[in-house]
Amino acid sequence: MIEFRNVTFAYSSTDANGRAIEQGSINGLDLTIQNGEFIVLTGGSGCGKTTVTRLINGLIPHYYSGTLNGEVMIDGKSVPDTPIFETAKKVGSVFQNPRSQFFNVNTTDEIAFAAENQCCEPAEISKAITATAASMHIEKLLDRNIFELSGGEKQIIACAGINVLSPDIIVLDEPSSNLDSEAIEKLKAVLTDWKSQGKTIVIAEHRLYFLRELADRMLILENGRIAKELITEEIKKLTADDTEKMGIRPTMLPEIHCSQKNTDVQGDVLLLEDFRFTYNDGKHGINIPRLELPANHIIAIIGHNGAGKSTLARNICGLERKCKGTLIMNGKKLKAKDRLHSCYMIMQDVNHQLFTESVRDEVMLSMTDKLLTDEQKIKKADEILSQLDLLEYANTHPMALSGGQKQRTAIASGVASSKPVIIFDEPTSGLDLAHMKQVSNQLKKLKEIGKTIIVVTHDNEFILSCCDHIVRLENGCVADN
Amino acid sequence: MELGLSSTSDKSVLKLDPRTKLCLLIAISLIMVGGKTAGVEYILRVICAAIPFVLLLTVRHIKSALIYVVLIAFSVFCEGSVIPNISGAPNLILMILCGIISRFVPGYMMGWYTVRSTSVSEFMTAMDRMHVPYFITIPFSVMFRYFPTLSEEYRSVHDAMKMREIGQSVKNPFTYIEYVLVPIMMSTVRIADELSAASLTKGLCAGGKRTHICQISIRLYDWLLMFGTLAMIVLFFAF
Repeated sequence: MIEFRNVTFAYSSTDANGRAIEQGSINGLDLTIQNGEFIVLTGGSGCGKTTVTRLINGLIPHYYSGTLNGEVMIDGKSVPDTPIFETAKKVGSVFQNPRSQFFNVNTTDEIAFAAENQCCEPAEISKAITATAASMHIEKLLDRNIFELSGGEKQIIACAGINVLSPDIIVLDEPSSNLDSEAIEKLKAVLTDWKSQGKTIVIAEHRLYFLRELADRMLILENGRIAKELITEEIKKLTADDTEKMGIRPTMLPEIHCSQKNTDVQGDVLLLEDFRFTYNDGKHGINIPRLELPANHIIAIIGHNGAGKSTLARNICGLERKCKGTLIMNGKKLKAKDRLHSCYMIMQDVNHQLFTESVRDEVMLSMTDKLLTDEQKIKKADEILSQLDLLEYANTHPMALSGGQKQRTAIASGVASSKPVIIFDEPTSGLDLAHMKQVSNQLKKLKEIGKTIIVVTHDNEFILSCCDHIVRLENGCVADN
Repeated sequence: MELGLSSTSDKSVLKLDPRTKLCLLIAISLIMVGGKTAGVEYILRVICAAIPFVLLLTVRHIKSALIYVVLIAFSVFCEGSVIPNISGAPNLILMILCGIISRFVPGYMMGWYTVRSTSVSEFMTAMDRMHVPYFITIPFSVMFRYFPTLSEEYRSVHDAMKMREIGQSVKNPFTYIEYVLVPIMMSTVRIADELSAASLTKGLCAGGKRTHICQISIRLYDWLLMFGTLAMIVLFFAF
């Protein structure tokens, strides 16, 4: 049993100017979770759902510091007073970012890691690994290099590690945000298995459709409090309108109705020819002899992990010099090197593409037109910033911004570069409903000013909200257009 | 060349204990850097130069083994028959070049072999058997895990710079370094932070004991190699 009694927590951090501040997260939370319950925590970004998971696994207060009031107890024992390696015996955790939760390089070592730390017998651990691999159908993932696995495979390895130690409580913090629908199905199978074993599961999530049948209770958090509590029957009855009103994502996977009629492209087109590219491993790559895309549209590229979506995006952008394909736009033939001048990509992790000391500099860095004077550049930069609601942050360091603001800064510099094609790589991974809508509105704005937008995504809800053309890839080839 | 500890160890024909590898590494570095090119020490140097070649072959790094042999053969040939016959600046340049190759490359290759052929868990197990405390072992093993992460991050930042067409236009090298380093540091710091949190929830702690599923043991050939290494070091200091 997990008990929260009047828990209040505030993170201690520093603001953009280096002053120490307290950031409130959880506010007077009372919650009792029975053994074997399946709890879904949801709500907008910053609502405190991640904090709840951290309070259960002991990362608060043992790793993240702040002011904690009230009591958090597991089976009557206070979590803050228990050393974290003791809590680790009872509570297993899966995190949002598959890239950063592994200590080892080898998958088998990683699966054994938690059990080794608890001094289990090596022979027992090996036996448990074999059993887990068989039940989760991951034999072919054993003894591999973790850096070669896809995001979905990494999350499954994280779940396998928990299975080996088999704790009573499992907390998951947005485990699906980097996964495609196939990987989410696998995650759902693991969760179903855990539930049938009687484990207590607490999962913080934005995407809810795969949890609809599993959840015993769904808690919608708002400003660190439980705003609404729903039980199984109520969750199953929720309609798209209900979830919309509550500000959360739908509990049903929306279906995408494609009308094949529309595929005859009218007006200007981008014509991709001969896009063939293979990675060094010789297995993965793309093979697209010809693809027509409508200019000045929002085009979604979908497909499973490893289908070649990101590879196609990188190639359109001209980042792979080996690719001999050409892009014909406005009657001009563009090779890889020329495409670098006409395409701009917003990466999944925007931290990689912000270089300067202020948001305004960031935008001005993209203006390569030598005829403009500095004053003209500043004026133009401020115009773009005000379009994207960033003007008040013009002098702020980009790294001090929130995730969404960073993404908008990257978009602003894309607009400033006056390149006609803007490519987004997974712009909505891990975003709540409100932020997802914000991104889709930005895409629409970009379309209005005449850009062609290509979005690599597996977020169906997002595709419905803004895209008007879909390309589906399968094994590196175009399956539908 | 990929950095980082090996992910799997199946590929090797001869599976040495990490402790044997460490002994060899120390002996080779010592003898190659400090040894003279005549007498007993010359023979010792030849043996030491040959060891990394053989070991690289056992892990099927045939290309690097061949490059290594060509480099060493070149420097031995030059030291033996070219350098005595020329004089002046070419002599000096060639002597320095060959000296660097023959003195440092074998140690470097041995180190590379050690890193490539040992998995993180083998390393942790071996360190544990030698009673090295965790506050030394854990940072080291995290460091090895970090090399592939760093190269992933660098690739992303490099792409971003290429796409934003900065890099060619930045004249000042310091600005260039800043543009590369700041994003890499920001994201690696974040990854390190999340990694520590994840490791803590998996019960890693500096004070406790842990078990190892990985099996390492000092076998007969390990004993033979270690004994041989010791003999070489004794000979090296005796002469």
